[in-house]
Amino acid sequence: MIVRRRGRLEIIADILRSIKNKEGKIKPTHLLYKSNLSHAKLKEYVDMLLEKGMIEEQLVKGKKMFLMKDHGYKFLSEFERIKEFSDSFGL
Amino acid sequence: MLFDSVPYGLPSYVFSPEWFYGFDSVIESIAIIVSVLLVYYSYKCFKLTKENKYLYFSTAFLSLTFAFIAKIIGTLAIYKPTITRSALGSSIHQTFTSVTPSGINALAFIVYIFFILVGFMILFLIISRLTWKNQRVIALLVYFVFLATWISIVHYQLFYVTSFVLLLLITYSYYRNYREIKNEKAKFVLIAFSILLVSQAFFVFSIYSGIIYVLAELVQLLGFVYLLIPFILIFKKKPK
Repeated sequence: MIVRRRGRLEIIADILRSIKNKEGKIKPTHLLYKSNLSHAKLKEYVDMLLEKGMIEEQLVKGKKMFLMKDHGYKFLSEFERIKEFSDSFGL
Repeated sequence: MLFDSVPYGLPSYVFSPEWFYGFDSVIESIAIIVSVLLVYYSYKCFKLTKENKYLYFSTAFLSLTFAFIAKIIGTLAIYKPTITRSALGSSIHQTFTSVTPSGINALAFIVYIFFILVGFMILFLIISRLTWKNQRVIALLVYFVFLATWISIVHYQLFYVTSFVLLLLITYSYYRNYREIKNEKAKFVLIAFSILLVSQAFFVFSIYSGIIYVLAELVQLLGFVYLLIPFILIFKKKPK
């Protein structure tokens, strides 16, 4: 089976989906495991998502967590709509 | 004058029975609305994702939009000669003394033929997963579109045969796409293109009977309505 490389947007959507599936907050170690990226690559994407205001970093019971923000939910919803459009129209 | 007459001894590229005059323009207007929606949304996808496939898809439907606009202009020039006799029409006529409704009709239909073929060809290229790396194949197809347009001016039916073949290939690709993803919206897209394929088959014979032309237009309308359904379903779906 040919494994297709994920595009940049797909990686971002996968990261956001991982956070969303954990009720909007996730530990960095879980995110690393779920995103299937190297530590350096994940840091690069997380920094970008923090900068774009899609996620935020918070301390919950003394532990670092990533929380999804409204902008992140909006982006994920738009991405899923585009994906559905793309699949339906064979793009 | 080059466009004073069209082949087959016809006064113009008009195959509609008189009682159907204008109804076909309404059907074409609906096709324009559906095409513009697809142009708008796929261009929006391109702006967000920067993926060229959306830009090409947008271009394909933009081309179809131009084609239907040209067809409306071309048929209305014959259906409503008063337009060409209006103040604007007469000033155009004074500027271009050789412009006649029949001339506008013939010229508009060449534009129509060209843009329909370009639109379907781009669509075929995208869903066949051909990229600009396949330059020789694309160059050959572009040549083929010009050739088909040129020959179609003389042999009008050849245009519909060509668009039928292109749609057949597109429909087959959508059949494969549906089998692969088994999604309800993909099924509607497949049905839409299958219906458009049938309409092209009717158009091939529209030269022989006005009723066949009416049937072709009605089937085409159904095809575009079906094309709108998956689009509406995608937007109706509430985010989880």
